[in-house]
Amino acid sequence: MITTEIVLEFFSNFILILGLMFVFLGMLGILRLPDVYNRLHATTKIGTLGAFGVMLSILMKVGFTPIGVKAITVGLFLLLTAPVAAHMIGRAAHRHGVDLCDISVIDEYDKTYK
Amino acid sequence: MKRYLFYSIPLALMWCFVHGSVTIENFIFGMILGPIALRPFMPLFKVGGELSFKDAIVRIPKQAKYFAILIIEILKANIMVARIVISPNIDIKPGIIAVPIDTKTNGGITAIANTITLTPGTLTIDISDDRSVLYVHCIDASDPDGVRTSIKNDLEKYVLEAFE
Repeated sequence: MITTEIVLEFFSNFILILGLMFVFLGMLGILRLPDVYNRLHATTKIGTLGAFGVMLSILMKVGFTPIGVKAITVGLFLLLTAPVAAHMIGRAAHRHGVDLCDISVIDEYDKTYK
Repeated sequence: MKRYLFYSIPLALMWCFVHGSVTIENFIFGMILGPIALRPFMPLFKVGGELSFKDAIVRIPKQAKYFAILIIEILKANIMVARIVISPNIDIKPGIIAVPIDTKTNGGITAIANTITLTPGTLTIDISDDRSVLYVHCIDASDPDGVRTSIKNDLEKYVLEAFE
């Protein structure tokens, strides 16, 4: 019983650090990547997994108590809604005439927006 | 009526999770709230065809397989983007690629668009008017045909099995 708690505590801290590291890398991605579309890659993928990791760590720390269940629900909703937000931001940016950065190699998106 | 009942079950479960404890009282209260929450959005759910509880249960193993693959792909995507972000020189060839899809239903298209966004190096930007082409932003678009075949063979197969 005690051993399980120690193992869970260890994994909880490990996932918390991993999640925070991913959040940090997401922020670094926003600063370093060249244009809005590439920055969306950083925020949707890395940011989502980082936040999900923090929520999972809360679940591991407190178990299936009301707080833990709420945390994991928030995490699942993040996974579900982040792609939709990225999709809308990218679409709006392209329709407002935000060009792809100079190193882009191909753009097959129909500019007429029927 | 059956449709309302069908969609209320997941909403009631969700209510239990948001409340924090799965009890029969919470579930019943969620079932009462479900139809009220569904009412304004019901016109969007003109899926066509008859819904059946049996059909939904048959799909559960396939959906479980799909989610397992999705989790692996998400982890791969994160490691890939993280490596690009921390590399000293950012060496990428981004671009937008048109990817034709076979999926027809609204649920299937939503699933594949979200899956593409969460998988390595790709991000769905828009869908064409006739719902046959997805515009996908790729962080490495030097090989457009390779991206098209990898989406078709690796992802769409599982999405079609799980959601159509």
